[in-house]
Amino acid sequence: MKSLGAILAAISALLMVSPAVAHHSFATEYDRSKPVSVTGVVRKVEWRNPHIWFYVDVKDARGDVTTWGFSGAPPAFLMRQGISRDALKTGDVVKVDGFRARDGSNNASGGRVTFADGRSVFTASPEDVRPN
Amino acid sequence: MSRNHRIRRVSLSVVAIVILSACTSGQQAPPQDEQVIPRAADGKPDFTGVWAGPGFAHTGSDTDTAQVRRYTEANMAPIKPGGKSLLNRSYTGNVRIDDPTAICLPNGLTRQIPSPYAQQWIQTPTQLVILYEYMHFFRVIPFGPPNRAHAPDVEPTYMGDSIAWWEDDTLVIDTVGLNEWLLDAYHPEDGGSRWHSDQMHLIERLRFTDPRNASYDVTLDDPVIFEKPWIEHWAMQLKPTWKILEFVCDDNDRCRTGNCTDTDVQKLAGP
Repeated sequence: MKSLGAILAAISALLMVSPAVAHHSFATEYDRSKPVSVTGVVRKVEWRNPHIWFYVDVKDARGDVTTWGFSGAPPAFLMRQGISRDALKTGDVVKVDGFRARDGSNNASGGRVTFADGRSVFTASPEDVRPN
Repeated sequence: MSRNHRIRRVSLSVVAIVILSACTSGQQAPPQDEQVIPRAADGKPDFTGVWAGPGFAHTGSDTDTAQVRRYTEANMAPIKPGGKSLLNRSYTGNVRIDDPTAICLPNGLTRQIPSPYAQQWIQTPTQLVILYEYMHFFRVIPFGPPNRAHAPDVEPTYMGDSIAWWEDDTLVIDTVGLNEWLLDAYHPEDGGSRWHSDQMHLIERLRFTDPRNASYDVTLDDPVIFEKPWIEHWAMQLKPTWKILEFVCDDNDRCRTGNCTDTDVQKLAGP
């Protein structure tokens, strides 16, 4: 069984590739001029086509919770890198950096995921813009 | 030493040399191609299998990295007067022109070839079937005499009308009847989109370079846009452990054209 470290290394390797294109254009859905950064708890992972989605509960200063949705790579891309749906689990505490959807909703491209222990990985599709 | 004894020693030496020679020749590597590339019962190279097309890094292992490749501008033939505006479409704000795949319309054959998804080829003596994972497109391609004519009543489609033949060990696939459609994955962030005309004539030539890899040369002959045909040199790699996967474009396309639909957990968390 692969260790989590190996899985995360594979994710990083996957997203080191130069920007390419999979299902669609990044620009038709997300606004690269509107970066977003949140920290919270992974509530749900949808391992589905055309791109995976994961949802993060983010608590503000008053204790109110907002659930953000982040789009990642297509499942086929991840599976062919040896990455399973277990790479990101419900209950994980993560910081996610991405770019907001053009409609201004609480949805975004999931450009980078940083775990509570400092490990930093990407989950975005290769074509997606990733934060520096 | 008697004469008979000398004759016996010479005879034994000759036999030993013959045996040694036979053993040595048996240890030589078989010549590339004939002994090692996959071959069908009819002796033709057998392209049956799941392939990582030009849209992968081709690691040689069971895992691989998706890498969409576009057609190389430096490879393109000179463009005819007026052809540039047909090839390069500026950003319009209309997704059906800027990026039709963003609303799950087909990518079309020229863009499907370098798609970063797997493809399964099934070869029989009479036809070749190609199953593309991306958007579940397929091609059923009959084998026949080289350079024969296509059917006269070809209806234009996204994947076109393809026929195939063999030139020695090279598989040739000839396609016409393509819609005017996307050339490749050139996107709004690249400045617009790239298209081909409905007169595009595509010739794919595949040849095994070793048991797991094939050269994949694609000749693009679009007389509406280019002065002459030009060739993109690509490659394919067999992936014996892979299966093609299900791909449903509409399944969870939650932010289509930037208008997102909240999922169940977001609705529960709402006011």
